[in-house]
Amino acid sequence: MRVSDIVAGLSMAILAIILSYLMVYGGLGPIAPYNLRPLAVSYLNYTYNPWEIKLSAMAPEGVTSIVWDYRGLDTYFETSVLFIALIGLLALFRGSNIVQGISNKGLSLIVKTTTKIVAPLILVAGVSLAYHGHLTPGGGFQGGSFMTVAIALIVVAFSIEFIAQKKITIDKLLIIRWIGLIFIVLTAVFLLIKALIFGGYAYIFQNMIRIGSQYTMPSWFLDRPLGGILFFFNVSESVAVVGGLSLGIVLLSLRDEEVKHVIGGEEHE
Amino acid sequence: MSNVESFLLTSIVISLIINTAISLYGVFSKPSLIKKFIALTIFSDSINSFAIFIGFRRTSEAYPSIAVHHEIPRNVTEIHQFVSSAVDPLPQALVLTAIVIGLAVNMFLIGLIILFYKYYGTTNVRKVRI
Repeated sequence: MRVSDIVAGLSMAILAIILSYLMVYGGLGPIAPYNLRPLAVSYLNYTYNPWEIKLSAMAPEGVTSIVWDYRGLDTYFETSVLFIALIGLLALFRGSNIVQGISNKGLSLIVKTTTKIVAPLILVAGVSLAYHGHLTPGGGFQGGSFMTVAIALIVVAFSIEFIAQKKITIDKLLIIRWIGLIFIVLTAVFLLIKALIFGGYAYIFQNMIRIGSQYTMPSWFLDRPLGGILFFFNVSESVAVVGGLSLGIVLLSLRDEEVKHVIGGEEHE
Repeated sequence: MSNVESFLLTSIVISLIINTAISLYGVFSKPSLIKKFIALTIFSDSINSFAIFIGFRRTSEAYPSIAVHHEIPRNVTEIHQFVSSAVDPLPQALVLTAIVIGLAVNMFLIGLIILFYKYYGTTNVRKVRI
């Protein structure tokens, strides 16, 4: 019986008791109520509401309009956290992107042929998930990580050397990531720049007409609602996520010899 | 509210609490860093499911609809109908944020664990003498 065992058992017991207490005495709010909370009612009311356009996001999808309109700054900094974690990963594996002795390895022919058929399908499904994010469940991050699965499949089936042969380097993936981030920032300040040029007022992350500002993003594309900035944010976020997560996968699936070559230089005593 | 329904909801809550406690045990007392990491991901997944469960609601129909307009509403009455049957979208949006940040931190942690293994030749934290 070590001290760590006692600490682990005690902490588990305390956690279970605290959670049960919160559930029973309503500290987490009512569980599975019949009526929604007032905040949720307001969000659902104004998600798509042409009769109250100054409060509306004009997109039929509730979650995406919260993520990119009502709480747009939250999501912007969340994207920054993802980017900073990738920078940390790059710093850890610094200099290890040199692939020498390119050879054709990978799994068997059956797996490779199946991957050739399945990977484009995954890409198309991810694109549809991302670019319909303002109409149906989904969005930029979900579609982007969906598309990254195709990259991961290719890395596993064709080996990491195949990626290097196709000249997909870490720098290029980082540039894709940068393009996505820059378009997010441009979309966020687009109306502000417009207001600076043409006069008047506007806000960052502004979507439709708001109180004190008559500038607006397009809310309809032909016969479909566009959700203003939501569509553009979804597109650029999916590009950024594909670049970033592929970068992570390529970095973490480096060949054994390379990693040893880079970090195994000094012997630990 | 039928008895079956409340039994199912209670069992979901209890299983989530047990899941959280077991994953916390894994983080604390498993010596291998990989097992600690797996337990950590299970912990974050349990907490995320818990947060989504808080956004659940009961309606007079069998199950609530998702927070998406299936058709473009033509008047205010249809919007009120939608509000009366949809789930709370806010926990879903917050959990989306939590998943993204968790993914980023997990990738960083995996990188650290790979470097740890290459440097010490083991992932057992109790065998390492610094």
